[in-house]
Amino acid sequence: MNRREAILQVALTMGSALSAPSMASIIEGYQPHRVRKSPPSRFALRPDQQVLLDEITEVIMPATSTPGAKDAKVAPTVELILKDCYKPAQQEHFLKGLDAVDAESKKAYAKPFVELSTEQKTAILKQFEQLSKTEAKQHPKRQEKLAKDPETTLGAFAPAGTDQTEAKMVDAETGVVVKDAEKNAPLTPFFKLVKELTILSYFSSEIGCTQALAYVQIPGRYEGVVKLKEGQKAWAT
Amino acid sequence: MNLNLDAKKGMTYDAIVVGSGISGGWAAKELTQKGLKVLMLERGPDLKHVTDYTTAMLNPWEFPHRGKIELWAAEEYWANARSGGKPGEDQRHMFTKDVDVPYIEKRPYDWIRGYHLGGRSLMWGRQSYRLNERDFTANLEDGHGTDWPIRYKDLAPWYSYVEKFAGISGNKDGLAVLPDGEFVPPMQMNSVELLAKSGIEKNFKGRHLVIGRPAIISVAQKVHTDGGRASCQFRNLCVRGCPFGAYFSTQSSTLPAAVKTGNLTVITDKIAYQVIYDDQKNKATGVRVIDQNTKQTQDYHAKIIFLNASTLNTAWLMMQSTSKRFPNGLGNDSDQLGRNLMDHHLGAGASGEYEGLQDMYYYGRRGNGIYIPRFANWGDDKRKDFVRGFGYQGRGARRDWVAGASQDGFGPEFKDNLTKPGRWEFSIGGFGETLPDPNNRMRLSDKKDKWGLPIIEFDAAWGENSVGMRKAMMNDAAEMLEASGLKNIKTRNDQDKNPGIGIHEMGSARMGRDPKTSVLNSWNQVWGAKNVFVTDGAAMVSSSCVNPSLTYMALTARAAAHAVGELKRMNL
Repeated sequence: MNRREAILQVALTMGSALSAPSMASIIEGYQPHRVRKSPPSRFALRPDQQVLLDEITEVIMPATSTPGAKDAKVAPTVELILKDCYKPAQQEHFLKGLDAVDAESKKAYAKPFVELSTEQKTAILKQFEQLSKTEAKQHPKRQEKLAKDPETTLGAFAPAGTDQTEAKMVDAETGVVVKDAEKNAPLTPFFKLVKELTILSYFSSEIGCTQALAYVQIPGRYEGVVKLKEGQKAWAT
Repeated sequence: MNLNLDAKKGMTYDAIVVGSGISGGWAAKELTQKGLKVLMLERGPDLKHVTDYTTAMLNPWEFPHRGKIELWAAEEYWANARSGGKPGEDQRHMFTKDVDVPYIEKRPYDWIRGYHLGGRSLMWGRQSYRLNERDFTANLEDGHGTDWPIRYKDLAPWYSYVEKFAGISGNKDGLAVLPDGEFVPPMQMNSVELLAKSGIEKNFKGRHLVIGRPAIISVAQKVHTDGGRASCQFRNLCVRGCPFGAYFSTQSSTLPAAVKTGNLTVITDKIAYQVIYDDQKNKATGVRVIDQNTKQTQDYHAKIIFLNASTLNTAWLMMQSTSKRFPNGLGNDSDQLGRNLMDHHLGAGASGEYEGLQDMYYYGRRGNGIYIPRFANWGDDKRKDFVRGFGYQGRGARRDWVAGASQDGFGPEFKDNLTKPGRWEFSIGGFGETLPDPNNRMRLSDKKDKWGLPIIEFDAAWGENSVGMRKAMMNDAAEMLEASGLKNIKTRNDQDKNPGIGIHEMGSARMGRDPKTSVLNSWNQVWGAKNVFVTDGAAMVSSSCVNPSLTYMALTARAAAHAVGELKRMNL
């Protein structure tokens, strides 16, 4: 039994008394505070990938009675967020997903995604939605589950004077202290991520806030009980 | 900034106030209004009211990353990011970069700081509650910690005094557990909150749901408009700084009042690191600072000194203030300096959905929620698993587009559904009292920061009492939601929350009746250095379960009045 196994064993017999982050800390041993100095992100989409992403966002958030993702310039926002807020492993995973969408389109319809009909595009993305569910099941967020288990006792409830919590490695995406962010953090499946970022970028855009939703910059008052009007839109913020 | 208004030039003042946050601002206001020439020292840079709230008027689409945190920011603000704070482009300029001013964790501690003029008065949660009568006798009753040297009646008039000026919005609920104050009109509850209120109060004797009491002027009174403040505009963007001055901060409230007297000098970018103690006179004569940019040191002198550097930095400053009389730090005969660190533990509670009320909505964004005052170990509600109690903060709202990411589907219908108000949701989370424990502490490590000053090492934990309490926080929340008719109830008891998460650091230089077991006397004077007053969170003897800042305000106003009286009586 190595040190890691031994500690996990102890934690289990204690009824999982330690949260995942502090367990990771024990395993890693002492480290001073440090942060990963990420090199400047080199993430950038090729022009054809930009066009593809633009099409995908429009299928997720299409123009209806209100403008869609293309009009709201969602794809450039998604690209910027991917570039600055995600680590290389996640970025690569996303790029692979983009390529796979095109490959799948060619396989099914002998055409690139952007040339498909709306129905065909929808069918392809439905496949990817299914795929992303399968992928998520294969990589359950073990840490997240442990940390949120209501039956485990407090992570910080450790006896005085132990050095078990001195290790600090902060995962920049989750803010959680982890032993090895690269190994532990499961990658978000492609479709889940593109959908999440599309929804965010759309509803926080000017078009999303002011046309798809109702936005009042300075409400001036608060009324807690208001009758909803027929067809009234949700507040943007 | 060097607001040298009408104050006399030079390095000598009647009083020095170290720190410009909630309690420092109050000390400066009270002392200047009583005619003292006051120097306020702030370790961080100036931050001007309104003009430096650079993001306050921006729309959601004007933030390129739309609230997502850039990797560099998550790294440089690691404690913020770890504790669930969001160092996003909308608000991170209000927070201290954790990598710039490091600390050491013997046991994990989330230390969230605001090193700039106004301190955390600019980004605080604004919830303002009085401690109740039993909070002041809690230590005496169950033997944890030492007795408070004051009682509720000693502080009650000072609560009233600070409430009138700060502007606390609230309802007079008539509950002994949550004493009423001098309120500006309460904010309204929404439909699901009213539903929960009636469900809880009907089904559980002794439990109440009330509207939160924030330091926000729902309706500005003359005292507020005279000071340049306006009523709340209900944007719920308080953390970016309020251009209307609607919530209480140093900048909106105490600083303008102090400046108006012509007695205030403010000097920023000076890190106070020592109180200068005169072994002959048995009192302090001044404060030693280092300029955070030039690293030049400087001494300032005064008859009285108020330490309001924030709980941990006040203790840090006192620990470095060694002298022949106090070889272990100013006022530290008891060895209690830096000990008895407290916070409120949170992250346990429940949320649920309500299927009805589909024709009801709300207007405006309320920077406030609801509050369920403590009921456990109160009255007939006795608990076996823990002592003391907890209160809940929470709110209800209709689900919005954010929920879309976790729902199946995409496309036209999916999109249009997200533009409509979704199902009602209601969520509450507990704030639990922690016990004073001398083993929960901070020390000066042998490592130094970039100014050559000792880095703080934290060594604290929530303690055993919180384990049972947290289970109750979770289970009691679920049973109240269930009794109110909510469905799909989800419970939580997050295990990854470190001490400090509540950003309610307390203790470390407690008040007391005996110099052998405490650092401050009943007037917040340092034992053995009676012209030094500590009136920030460091002074707290127990933590109660309510948000503490209002108590710091009241303690400060009370101590300032005493200080000026003693000065006039030639006792200092």
